[in-house]
Amino acid sequence: MANKSVWSDNRFWQRSAAWVTGFAAILLIWLTFDTSGQISMGSDADLKNGVTKRVPGPTVINYKITYEMDTKRGHEVPVIGAKEKFFGRDDYSEKEAGDLLHLGKLGSQAKNCMDCHTLLGNGAYYAPDLTKAWLDPAWESTGSMQAMTGKNTKEEAMAEFLQFPSKYPTHARMMPNLGITAAEAKGLVAFLKHMSSIDTNGFPRNFGKIQGALNGK
Amino acid sequence: MASNHLKWESKQLATWYFTFAAIIFGAQLLFGLIAAIQYVMPGFLFEIVDFSIARILHINALVVWMVFAMIGSVYWLLPDETGIETVGIKIGKLLFWVFAAAIVVVVLVYLLVQVGPADETTIWFITEGREYIEAPRWADIGIVVVVLGFIGNLYATGMKGKPTGIVTVLMADMLAFAGIYLAGMFFTDNISVDQFWWWWVIHLWVEATWEVFVGAIAAYGLITMIGAHRKVVEMWLWIEVAMLFGSGILGMGHHYFWIGTPEYWWEIGALFSALEPLPLVAMFIHVLYDWGKQQGAAHQRGEEGSVITNKPAFTWFILQAFGNFLGAGVWGFFHTLPQVNLYTHGTQFTSAHGHLAFFGAYATILIGMMYVAIQGSNGIKVLKHTKSSIAAAWMIAGGVMGMTVALTIAGYVDVIVTRAQMGATWAGYFDGHSGMWMLQGMDWRLIMGVVTFLGFLFLIKDFLSTGKNAVHIR
Amino acid sequence: MVEVLAVQPEIALNDFLPIFVSSALVIVFGGFYVGIYTAVKVGMLKKWAMPLAYLFWLLTAYCLYVMGSLMHVGDTTAKALVVAMIGYLLLPHAVYYMQHQVHEQNEH
Repeated sequence: MANKSVWSDNRFWQRSAAWVTGFAAILLIWLTFDTSGQISMGSDADLKNGVTKRVPGPTVINYKITYEMDTKRGHEVPVIGAKEKFFGRDDYSEKEAGDLLHLGKLGSQAKNCMDCHTLLGNGAYYAPDLTKAWLDPAWESTGSMQAMTGKNTKEEAMAEFLQFPSKYPTHARMMPNLGITAAEAKGLVAFLKHMSSIDTNGFPRNFGKIQGALNGK
Repeated sequence: MASNHLKWESKQLATWYFTFAAIIFGAQLLFGLIAAIQYVMPGFLFEIVDFSIARILHINALVVWMVFAMIGSVYWLLPDETGIETVGIKIGKLLFWVFAAAIVVVVLVYLLVQVGPADETTIWFITEGREYIEAPRWADIGIVVVVLGFIGNLYATGMKGKPTGIVTVLMADMLAFAGIYLAGMFFTDNISVDQFWWWWVIHLWVEATWEVFVGAIAAYGLITMIGAHRKVVEMWLWIEVAMLFGSGILGMGHHYFWIGTPEYWWEIGALFSALEPLPLVAMFIHVLYDWGKQQGAAHQRGEEGSVITNKPAFTWFILQAFGNFLGAGVWGFFHTLPQVNLYTHGTQFTSAHGHLAFFGAYATILIGMMYVAIQGSNGIKVLKHTKSSIAAAWMIAGGVMGMTVALTIAGYVDVIVTRAQMGATWAGYFDGHSGMWMLQGMDWRLIMGVVTFLGFLFLIKDFLSTGKNAVHIR
Repeated sequence: MVEVLAVQPEIALNDFLPIFVSSALVIVFGGFYVGIYTAVKVGMLKKWAMPLAYLFWLLTAYCLYVMGSLMHVGDTTAKALVVAMIGYLLLPHAVYYMQHQVHEQNEH
């Protein structure tokens, strides 16, 4: 009685599977082209002309970065402000800043940072998220971490901690000594500063607003 | 494993892959235990085997043993499906030793060298430092060569013999599986671009190509273990492929919420990852449906007893159907929408989901395939449960479920304290991680991890002894 | 640059737990719905269990509603969720119909 129905035909489902897969893959590739354009790194000229890039150029280390609520977008975004000294200079050329970032990014991989910390929220959950670590109040001049290292600037304090982590334990869970040199530490701090300038669509929410300014009831 | 019952060399090679996979599985659990102890006692092996090293070994061993068991599964089912000996079996055997030796070298370097200076030599020879695919570049290239050899064998055999639906799906799937790995082999200074492509490897493996792989293995298992009708099973398989790739490929969007990528990924990620549980429900129902149909038909023919010819393997296949649905489906869905993921991304929740999903979707079915191989190697008609096989299934599944629940509770604290209240700062992180629920959650995770490991010991005991057991029907 | 319209509203602290529970239950109840439906159809459960299956569908829909409202999903998403629930109601019927056809063709 049962006629050969298209719904019970293997060939039909085989073709459907191929079409669905192909369509999804093409859509993904198309979106990848669009996204790749949007997340390519900006240039020094972009920064000077105030062009907003999702991932700014390496010379962003010459500027002050803050993380502020954007009412139109409904979440926080990094804001690049006036010039700010980084290890005593605010005139790193595109080449110098790029080299520092390169060293820092290589260092972040060579030291397996991602297997304890999260970067942009991805990695391991054994240590704090580093996405906006550069903006963490603990490293500011009034913060506990800067005070502990006895340094006068955020970048020097961070570099000191990275080189001698076990000298500055904050909790029972300590960062191990990974043999990070002074040059590598400088690169890593540049890498962290650059990462904090990336537009992450508001992740993490309420960063640095202790006791949740909006939630704390 | 005794092999005088194996008339195919391909199946013999499969048993090598399964044996190596089981050993690496043990290593995965051991390093997982070290990492779990470090959560409870942070001083444990400090600056000897730090958490980062234990975790690299934990998750890399996971990937490696699964890939080995997957390759083993394919070599096992190829002669059954195509009706011929695998083409290029000699090359297959050579590649096995190359692959295994490379893995041993990589592991020793992870363990003994650990980290390197911030330059390209570290990336080439020590670690690439990218979660799951830390393997240094020389090993990346080696892996590609070995896997291409394996795929060459698969294609040659599939085209020379009878290309069934299952083999056709595997041929397409394995090519995608290997091809995607190439997306994870380059270095860039741009961390957003880095993570964008890194997810191509990780996501398109575990939420697309691996899922389709287990769909094909489940289809093979249903045909061989309960005599399900090939036409029905293969039709299901094609529907599952359509659903898995249809939702899984663009489900990638849920990893692109916060890494610097544009906002439109919120909608794409939310929509497609909401669809992702559907194929998992379908796969679960598929097993239930075929089992019910076959058992019903057997009873109608007046046959007493079960239609299942390999009880332990079928148990693990059922656990897979449940585990995939729970781990990937339930634990995935409850933090996949961007509104909530903003707070759960990168917390202990992710860890809870990861544990249950990897175990439920993949570990289970691959253990099931190892039992299929034990049955075949010993020429057993009906492989029954032993005390050890039951203890192993209960303790491993119960242990992983226990770890998942403990991590979920810890994750809830993490979300509320670290994220929602404290905004994810350094201080907020440690506030979240010193709460009572977090600490007790980590205690229970360790206890359940020990249970899992004891279950693994029972499993190995059963692997080594069940072939000689007299309870089976030969 | 494209005008960005998506807005991320804050989730109240006390809403996290209900959101997690309801979204987990969406999948669990959804599983029960198709599970019981299939089990009745292949004869693993008696016929009277069928209303139970539909009851679970109702619970699924309710949990999804709770989850969506606590998360403050937008209008478009809300519509998509309604469509998803209707689709989910029909899904096992369609799948079972197809499977039945294949079995009829192959075994009779």
